[in-house]
This record gives sequence, structure tokens and C-alpha cells, in this order.
Amino acid sequence: MTQQPSPARPPRLAAWLVDLLASREQAECILGDLREEFSYLASSRGIANARRWYRLQSAKTIAHLAAAALLVRPLWLAVALLLGFLLSLFSAGLPEQLIVALLRTQRPYSNRHYEAYVWLLAYGIPMVSITRSLLIGCVVALLARGREMVATIALSLLRAATIVWLLFLFFGRTPPTRPVIPFLAPFLFSRALDLIGIVIGGVIVGRVRSASASRLAAT
Amino acid sequence: MSAREHLGEFEHIVLLTVLRLGDQAYGVTIRREIEARTRRDVSIGAIYATLDRLEAKKLVQSRLGDPTPERGGRSKRFFRVTAQGVSAVKHTHRALRSLAEGLAVLGSSS
Repeated sequence: MTQQPSPARPPRLAAWLVDLLASREQAECILGDLREEFSYLASSRGIANARRWYRLQSAKTIAHLAAAALLVRPLWLAVALLLGFLLSLFSAGLPEQLIVALLRTQRPYSNRHYEAYVWLLAYGIPMVSITRSLLIGCVVALLARGREMVATIALSLLRAATIVWLLFLFFGRTPPTRPVIPFLAPFLFSRALDLIGIVIGGVIVGRVRSASASRLAAT
Repeated sequence: MSAREHLGEFEHIVLLTVLRLGDQAYGVTIRREIEARTRRDVSIGAIYATLDRLEAKKLVQSRLGDPTPERGGRSKRFFRVTAQGVSAVKHTHRALRSLAEGLAVLGSSS
């Protein structure tokens, strides 16, 4: 018995990114069109060629969708971004304040919850911090109706630019000396988590909206 | 869209292509037709961004077809030009013809 060759599949990451950035209606037809062209190219020019074409087309498509999303009701998007930026700016110290306030209610060396105290100190701040970013991402995504990913990615890029600018202000003229480096790495790591948290907030809101729209369409 | 408003270059190209393709106008065929006739490499995203804009202006209408296996079980979105779209194309054509008329560099007769 001969085994049937499995049909060629398009690059998953490229397809996932298009699905992530396109609205539900757009994703349905764009991914279908990309798949149809991919199958045609795979049979006529080979799988490697078809995969290359798919990646390039996906990148161009994402750029066009993002640009188009930025141009629709740009003022409303700017308001959502400004609100998200201010929220993330003014709540930057909140995780530390919250955990420190919680720990002050305890006496670590004289009670039975010493391990919990240490655990909160080590992991509590990053956990509260990423939750804060998720919430900010969700707020921005809720405001940017139908453009959740574009809005949250734009906010993350804006925050990243601010961090780079601050680092340049501090260390632009005098590069960090050795004692600063061990503190700089965790700082950058926590900022990176914040940025990822904002985008994940956008993904969550986008997926929930898409699922509820599908349910509505089915009924 | 008001009759006085002109189409952008790519909007014009996409509307003419949809008119040319008739019942078979969807992302893949529109892209192939534009590439074949204008030798211009266009992305599916650019076509959909333009078609969405044209649909918002009520110059085209779309409907979803049935899902097919060669598209990974996804539907085609077929487009057709509305009466308003046809008059927008005519209006833009008239304006372009009027601008080109009598220009020796284009070899047009006055």
C-alpha cells in the first residue's frame, strides 16, 4: 500500500500573525486567499517557493492592515493610546507600593508566614506588574473597537520608545558602570514583561470579541 | 461618496478589475488580474484594505461564498461594483480624459 503524500501546509507563524491582526471577517477571506494561492504555487513552483511567497505576502498584508487600521477613526485611536500611555505611566510604581503595603502588615521574622513573605517579595511584584499591564492592554483594546492588536502593539512600541529615551538620558553620556548592570537587567526584563502584557491584553479582548461575534453569527 | 469626489489611483484600478471579473471577483482573481494587466506586484492586504474602503463608501458590495477545501475550509468573499461605483469610475475617467486632452507629450489629439 502506498502512502499518500501529506498536503503542503503554509507557514504557521505567518498565518497566525495574519489571523491575529486581521478582524474576524477579514481573516476568513484573507487566509483563504493566501491558502489558495499557496496551494497553487506549491504545485506549480515547489513548496519552498510557495512558503517564501506566503511569508512575504503575509508581511505585506499585515503592514497594509495595520496602516488601514491606523487611518480609520484616527482620533479615537489616539485617545485610546493616550489613555493607555497615561495609565501605564502613572501606575508604574503601583505593583511595588501594593506589595510593600501588604508586607508592612506582617512581621516576617516573628510569624509563621515567613515563606509567604519571601515568596511575595520575590514573585509578587512581577505578578502584579504583569496583571497591571494586562488590564491596561484590555482597556486600550476595548476602546479601540476592531483594532485591538494594532492599538496594543502601538502602545507597547510607544512605551518601548519611552524606555529607550529614558535609558539614553541616564546613560547617554556615561555608559553604565559595573555595579549598575546587575540592576539594569531585571529592570529591562520587567519592562519587557510589561510590554508583552499589554499586547496579551489586546489578544485576549480580540479573541473574546471574535468568539462572541462568531456565536452571534451562528445563531 | 459624492459624484464630485474622485477615486484614488489604486481604488480606480481595483474597481475596474472587479468590473472586468464580473461574478468571479474575489481576492485571488483580483490580485492575479491586476498583476497580469498592470505588471504591478500587489498584496492581498492592499486589495482588501482598498475594497473595505470602497465598501464603506458604498461603491462595492460583498457576499461570502461557500467554504472550499482548497482554501482550508474558508470562504471566498465575492465583490461586485454598485451603480454608485460605476458612476464614480465614469466620473474619474471623464476627469482624467479631460486632463490628458491636447497634451502633445501623451500623443493625444485635441
